[in-house]
Amino acid sequence: MRLAATIRSVVHRFESLREVLAKSNAPKSGDNLAGIAARSAVERVAARAVLSNVTLETLRQNPVVPYEIDELTRLFEHSLDEHAFKAIAHLTVGQFREWLLEDQTDGLKIRSISAGLTPEMAAAVAKLMSNMDLMVVASKCQVVVRANTTLGLPGRLSSRVQPNHPTDDIEGILLSTREGLAYGCGDAVIGVNPATDTAESTAEILTAIDGVLKRNAVPTQHCVLSHVTVQMRALQLGCPMDLMFQSLSGTELGNKAFGISVALLDEAWALMKERGSARGPNCMYFETGQGSALSSAAHHGVDQVTLEARCYGFARRYQPFLVNTVVGFIGPEYLEDGPQITRAGLEDHFMGKLLGLPMGCDACFTYHARMDQDELESLKVLLSAAGCSYLMSLPVGDDIMLNYQSTSYHDIPSIRRLLAKRPTPEFDAWIVERDIWDYERDRPGRAFGNAAAILP
Amino acid sequence: MSRTRQLIDRLRDELGASAPMPPAPPLPRVPEPPARVFPRRHEGSPYAREAARHTTALLGIGHVGTRYATDVVLQFQAELAVAHEAVATELPADWATQNGLIGLRSRVRDHREYLLRPDLGRRLEPESLARWTQAGQHGVDVQPILADGLSAVACMQSGLTLLDSFTQACRARGLTVGVPVAARYARVWLEDEIGAAVSAKVAAILLGERPGLGTGDGLSAYLVYDPRIGKTDGDRNMMSNIHPRGTRPEIAGVRLAVLARAMLDQQRSGVELDLSGLRTELGDVASRAHRAPQVRVRLVEVAG
Amino acid sequence: MILQALPPRILSVRRLPNADPALLLAYGADPQRHRSLGLVTVDQDDPTYVALDEATKHADVDVVFAKSFYAGARHGSGPLSGEILGVLAASTPDEIDEGLRAFVRCLESDACFYAADDAGKTAVFPHVIAALGRYLSALAGLSPGDALAYLVAPPMEATIGLDMALKAAGVRAVRIFPPPTETNFAAAWLTGPLESCEAAALAYCEAVVRVAANPKGEVWGS
Repeated sequence: MRLAATIRSVVHRFESLREVLAKSNAPKSGDNLAGIAARSAVERVAARAVLSNVTLETLRQNPVVPYEIDELTRLFEHSLDEHAFKAIAHLTVGQFREWLLEDQTDGLKIRSISAGLTPEMAAAVAKLMSNMDLMVVASKCQVVVRANTTLGLPGRLSSRVQPNHPTDDIEGILLSTREGLAYGCGDAVIGVNPATDTAESTAEILTAIDGVLKRNAVPTQHCVLSHVTVQMRALQLGCPMDLMFQSLSGTELGNKAFGISVALLDEAWALMKERGSARGPNCMYFETGQGSALSSAAHHGVDQVTLEARCYGFARRYQPFLVNTVVGFIGPEYLEDGPQITRAGLEDHFMGKLLGLPMGCDACFTYHARMDQDELESLKVLLSAAGCSYLMSLPVGDDIMLNYQSTSYHDIPSIRRLLAKRPTPEFDAWIVERDIWDYERDRPGRAFGNAAAILP
Repeated sequence: MSRTRQLIDRLRDELGASAPMPPAPPLPRVPEPPARVFPRRHEGSPYAREAARHTTALLGIGHVGTRYATDVVLQFQAELAVAHEAVATELPADWATQNGLIGLRSRVRDHREYLLRPDLGRRLEPESLARWTQAGQHGVDVQPILADGLSAVACMQSGLTLLDSFTQACRARGLTVGVPVAARYARVWLEDEIGAAVSAKVAAILLGERPGLGTGDGLSAYLVYDPRIGKTDGDRNMMSNIHPRGTRPEIAGVRLAVLARAMLDQQRSGVELDLSGLRTELGDVASRAHRAPQVRVRLVEVAG
Repeated sequence: MILQALPPRILSVRRLPNADPALLLAYGADPQRHRSLGLVTVDQDDPTYVALDEATKHADVDVVFAKSFYAGARHGSGPLSGEILGVLAASTPDEIDEGLRAFVRCLESDACFYAADDAGKTAVFPHVIAALGRYLSALAGLSPGDALAYLVAPPMEATIGLDMALKAAGVRAVRIFPPPTETNFAAAWLTGPLESCEAAALAYCEAVVRVAANPKGEVWGS
């Protein structure tokens, strides 16, 4: 394979498809840290030109992490839908981009070929797209899933209530949960990141949240984001658990650093299908984020966008209810500033939707990244306009345990009103019944923001 | 295509540019202003008071439309500004010597590189390494390292107090303590090279932690047994949130010395270190990655 | 948007393969030469005259009858009346069919009124015929193959437009129809080289647009 392109009579040559993919990436500090980024803007375009001319079939034949050393590569290869693949195999990445953008290509058509895409294909086409391209195509893709509620219907924007507490104080967690519900947040999940990673504490938090949801008849699901093995033990203690959580990485080595494997998640999923408390068929919740593989030196010289897509390839095996890219959490050494975090959020949402996942995004920044509230608010609107399934929500967007900035309880109703979106149908009926939102006048209802009205 | 239709299409394009706009719809009638516009009344919410007993999350803050009240916005912006300022502040090059410490520097050259290249922040620049190998005391039990980390503000505010209490508590437990150093542009793993250069048995880096909202002055401490390049996070024990409103530096120093003593006794650190017998002495440190709750302080007061 | 085409609607098309000689005579046909008739009604009269003429270029048909109805399509006597009845005559039904096909093509893709204002209330017909057929050339006193600018608009617009058209290009007026016509419009036929006819039609059309946008002119305007 000859991988070269000429720009103003300078020939740019590339050694491997992996290098082409890496150098095609929009600028990311994480790719610089890994030493694989394009050296100049012109070289970046040259790499994109080469990539635009590569067929999807070639991408399948050249996985970025070798088949022999990585179980995820083997998983992608063996679970690919050959019929769907045949429909698009002959397209170049450039042609694939245009096919996705065409008016005749609607969400159903994209869904029909989705199972024939490897993660590398989704990543490759994302690299040829502008932010607006990513939004336009992602907004076509509808991924509808069901647990206790139905997530991802058109015109909907859901949210996770994230009532974290630095010492897992149950009272503190419940107070924050009730406040979130009073603002119409939490229809995707009430999800707590625990400070203590034990089965007992996971079970205790789940049981307490379950009680509040039942007493107030809130149609949603709950989850405690401890390690999957801890949640499995908690299930065996007999606690309610609507969704089971795990962080994913895009390589076998990266997942090893997270203490997981395909076999372990298969086991967890089987247990959850048997013991989970949600009614619908989708019961898993995954989080990802660009840069996680590099941070555990498990990136195999692959860029962070392609590795992120591989997380989604892994996630779709388990028909999850939620997948969430925690886009700015990892720090400036991977995503330096506002433009990089914005780009990554839109890329991740696009790739996940293209691969058939119910994508949400934790649009966020840490205090050592160069980003501020205004820029973050813009990203939330962009994601919602692109049809993002759900965002996070916290008091003032401030996570008092993990120390970073995300979406606030006030942001969710603001965005919904701006973009004429609603929560899941089941939760929507609940906020109307509770007079949290008044759709007749499209304004907050009398109980909006009144956490005291939600029973403890 | 019809010739006449082509001609008219072209004429439309020409006229389109100069065609007068259709008249604007009439403006709606603006009502008379009310006699007086009243400000919102802010009432302290009982829910906020109840919440304050259990969490530092800003609860019961009410809303204006779907947005925040003005005082919430200002408090929040002040907290963010404090955090950003803590990140942006650099440890002065002569701060170490002025405080009687040996000044070392990582391979990082400036603040932006510090944020973007953690790999460089984990290694000493050659001149520092040579000077430290000369000046350091070799073979000690504990080598303390004060460092900027992600908050030079925290390092300058509480660093010396923590260093003193830690050093004294170590000596009180019969441990030999190396010459104290202060490292600039340092990441946690820099303790490996600094400790290894003088063959210390335990390296302890005390450094500014990543600021949270309104809390730019927290220190963290990471201890590792048998420091050398190649140690990972699983080999370390840590304690965070060391500042006057969290775990006070005087108390933290004692707990860290207990931890160092345990490492020397068991000749290991990290996940393998057994701390089950030391829970009362260690407090927070006994459970890995535990954070003490922080107290939220009101940052903005306007002179009235 | 101004100058949107206002496509004519063909309301009825019928054929009499073997018409009664009395009917042929009454509608101006010659029973010696003509046996079959083709009849059409349309909701716009002037495009229909042009399309009937177009038919004479494509088939051996004669336009024996074509008359506009009083006050236009909106006051028709029935749902099929429209604004005009046109009658083609020929010796065989096949010739009639060929002629009707050319007639329909012309109405669908060529001759039509345009809206001179955004609201679509002012209609203008600034049509250029590159080569006349036998029907209109005879009415205009010209030869088949001559060019003709066929210009129609409401009275005020038409009058201002005609002045602009005549001054814009090397054309001469072959017939001027001052208001009111049967449909209460005003019209004019101008001839000259094809380019001049086109320039005249454009000048006419532009003038109609300007008058429609500013009815009281610069002196009395606003």
